[in-house]
Amino acid sequence: MNSAEELKNLLPGSVISTGLQLNKPMAVVKKEDLVKAAGKAKEIGFDHLSVITGIDYRDHFEVIYNFFSYSKKQNLAIKVNLDHDKPEVDSLTSLWKGADWLERETFDLVGIKFIGHPNLIRILLPDGWNGHPLRKDYDMNTEQFVTIGDNGDDVVSPDGTNLLRRK
Amino acid sequence: MESDELFINMGPVHPSTHGVARFKLRMDGESIKECTPVIGYLHRGTEKIGEMKTYLQFIPYTDRLDYIAAFPNNYAYVKAVEELAGIEVPLRAEYIRVLTMELNRIVNHIVSIGSLLMDLGAATMIMWGFRERENALQLFEMLCGARMTFNYIKPGGVREDIPDGFIPKLNEFIKDMEKRIVDYEQLINGNEIFHMRMKNIGVISGKDAVNYGWTGPTLRGSGVDYDLRKYEPYSIYPDLDFKVCVRKEGDSYARFIVRMDEMKESLHILRQVVDNMPATKLISMAEYGISPMTGTPTAVSTYFPRIFTPPAGEVYSRIEAPKGELGFYVVSDGTTKPYRVKIRSPSFCNLTAIPSLVKGLKIGDLIAAFGTIDVVLGDVDR
Amino acid sequence: MLFLAMWTGDIMFENTYELIVFILNFIGIYDPIYNVFEMFGLEYLLRIIIVLAEIAALFVFILLTVMFLTWMERKVVAMVQARYGPMVTGPRGLLQPVMDGVKLIGKEDIIPAKADRWVFTLAPFLIFIPALLVFIPLPFGESLIISDLNVGLLYIIAISAISPIAILMAGWASNNKYSLMGAIRAVAQDISYTIPLALAAISVVLLTGSLSTVDIVTAQSGTWFGFIPKWFIFLQPLGFILFLIASIAEMGRIPFDFQESESELVAGFFTEYSGMKFAMFFLAEYAHLFSVSAIVVTLFLGGWSVPFLSSIPATFAVLIPIISLAAFVIKTYVIIFFAMWLRDTVPRMRIDQLLNIGWKIMIPLALLNLLATAILLTAGVF
Repeated sequence: MNSAEELKNLLPGSVISTGLQLNKPMAVVKKEDLVKAAGKAKEIGFDHLSVITGIDYRDHFEVIYNFFSYSKKQNLAIKVNLDHDKPEVDSLTSLWKGADWLERETFDLVGIKFIGHPNLIRILLPDGWNGHPLRKDYDMNTEQFVTIGDNGDDVVSPDGTNLLRRK
Repeated sequence: MESDELFINMGPVHPSTHGVARFKLRMDGESIKECTPVIGYLHRGTEKIGEMKTYLQFIPYTDRLDYIAAFPNNYAYVKAVEELAGIEVPLRAEYIRVLTMELNRIVNHIVSIGSLLMDLGAATMIMWGFRERENALQLFEMLCGARMTFNYIKPGGVREDIPDGFIPKLNEFIKDMEKRIVDYEQLINGNEIFHMRMKNIGVISGKDAVNYGWTGPTLRGSGVDYDLRKYEPYSIYPDLDFKVCVRKEGDSYARFIVRMDEMKESLHILRQVVDNMPATKLISMAEYGISPMTGTPTAVSTYFPRIFTPPAGEVYSRIEAPKGELGFYVVSDGTTKPYRVKIRSPSFCNLTAIPSLVKGLKIGDLIAAFGTIDVVLGDVDR
Repeated sequence: MLFLAMWTGDIMFENTYELIVFILNFIGIYDPIYNVFEMFGLEYLLRIIIVLAEIAALFVFILLTVMFLTWMERKVVAMVQARYGPMVTGPRGLLQPVMDGVKLIGKEDIIPAKADRWVFTLAPFLIFIPALLVFIPLPFGESLIISDLNVGLLYIIAISAISPIAILMAGWASNNKYSLMGAIRAVAQDISYTIPLALAAISVVLLTGSLSTVDIVTAQSGTWFGFIPKWFIFLQPLGFILFLIASIAEMGRIPFDFQESESELVAGFFTEYSGMKFAMFFLAEYAHLFSVSAIVVTLFLGGWSVPFLSSIPATFAVLIPIISLAAFVIKTYVIIFFAMWLRDTVPRMRIDQLLNIGWKIMIPLALLNLLATAILLTAGVF
């Protein structure tokens, strides 16, 4: 029995299906029960949150959490499916402090909202950036101009009026 | 005693932020009350580029992530693609890959320790280190023509077999490096001031380190015996004899010592790799005689078609890069380009802990702690 | 021939002025010149001219030394770090300081918009003044002293205390947080290290019973048992170590270079300076290095005295100022080399550690040293 099936046995109501992410066990979890499932995973030894990946599948979003257990040396991936119109899922920051930046990054680049995150602001791109680049409908041809404002914050404008030279 | 709060904007251009990191510091005199890292100044949208390039075209971009140690980046991505497409790699190619990666680990740790010492005010170490690093870079140059951005490891093997005269030079380097590491230890390890600056500074327990998602030497400095090379072995690591360097203290000094020890282990691995490398040379592209544009991947050559389509699927593949766990999440939709490339960079995840690590410490400690976490901003910002 | 008659092993002339008058007399041109000045009733003018010429010569000597020191520092650092250092300008890069000067003069002299212009401009000049004035009561050799003040040592310590004011001015006027922090650090450091410095010096004063630097040096001439030179380093080993550490702290060099600590505070108090003003700080730093080393030599290493100088054949007595000058310079360079060597090998401390050591270790030890000296002196051991 792999770790995903183990999780399904523990939380039969929350885990929709189990399978393999190529060679690693993966459990698809109801998005409402994500924190519960992740907490359970942490309880059974999956203490390392390796990565959070958000994927835009045009009709829906997927967020994949890759866990690892240092004690059991086992992998586990948990996947949630989100609506394309309302990409929201509960934050795991209460369980893993390391989830903080990973979720911020996913929010920044993919535009998935993590409910309950203490500081959900952009991390790699400047504040005020329009759009989330890793979405498939992101407009690559629109330029955005970034400068540093008077108080040190980033200022973004689509037409470059914030750049001194272009004034 | 409380005094007025002082706000300091450390970076993005600052001598010891190793690139363009910025820390917003709220200070009480010399003590840090709150540290907020601001990153993203080097963001190049590598993941987006990954979606727009073919599988092979993306490899050079991985070089630019952690430019201090680029071979593991190449390898991590290529490993993900190979797992996705089910490509087998000839044993000799795996040996060459491990050789480059371990050599690169030494280079990375030299730079890491050197720049840490330079931030502490002792500039000698980085100069000594760069002397040896230069030798290693010349080896890389011999191997693939590039010194830092290699684009050498390809799906199905490596770009070219190792050139003649490489192994003797490598042996020379290993011999030299053994003596040099002793030199480094004599220069640094016994220094009282260095101990004052490093011991009990930036302490993090193993449990917290795991919670923060720390990996690599930083995690092993906190007493967690974990190394992907050992416990989730890939490539030829199961056949190699090496030990995982762990320290219990969890302070800056422990992280430093772990890196020192890992250099020695890497040398040990290199020696085994040189001894056990299969003698059959890899077949080069010209010898194979197939158009580079089409054809099927093969397991015995350095040759790989420029365009190929792995079956649809997704994979999360990770390796033990010098800085920690480097993972690539690659999703294929059955076309020539990946549907999604997600990079789990060790620098990014290790940097998460810095606000709690330096709270209440002095500016000098922030620099020491930042130095021991060993980040490369190209890897953080991607 | 006159030298022959005069040399008894004691001081020949009180100061350089008298030496010059004597030499002018000896070659027979002093009287004619004096007569000319006397004709107009301007004898004092002659005196002033001679003293000014002395001071000019001293300043030229100091500036040349400082330029040489910048070159020497680079060379010593390069030697330690397995590099060449400057090699291109002049033989073995000897003209590098000149090129540096040319470069710095050619740079734009920037005054930040929100800086306090007057204070900002004044600070680099003010910091140079103590660095030069300190040399007035320092004996460079037998008879080679501008003025033998009877409070020479007090004068030196008092004049040295001006430099924190200049640093504070520079840091404050720059209107930059890094500069201000550097300045505050420098002041805190100078205050806490001037105390052990002065206390260690007082132990020497107890031994000689005089604040005059010439008296201190003469008290150190001769030998014990015919082979140990009577230097105070042997009577005051603890005092010497304390004084040396405090001096290096006063100089603001690694491991105590908190006023600039470039990896933490960018460049400390002179972050905002450029061009010639920056050069002034740079030169003052080396003038300070030279002066402080000279003071260490004067107090603890016998100044210009050479153990067996008094047994020199009287025929060569004319050489005594030259020999003593050479002895003084060599000893000073030994201390300077030590400071440079230290800079290359140890990291920087942390500001709180520095202050802790200053107040909790150095000052009690210096007091203890003073007490022990006084007791031994009263008991008649010394």
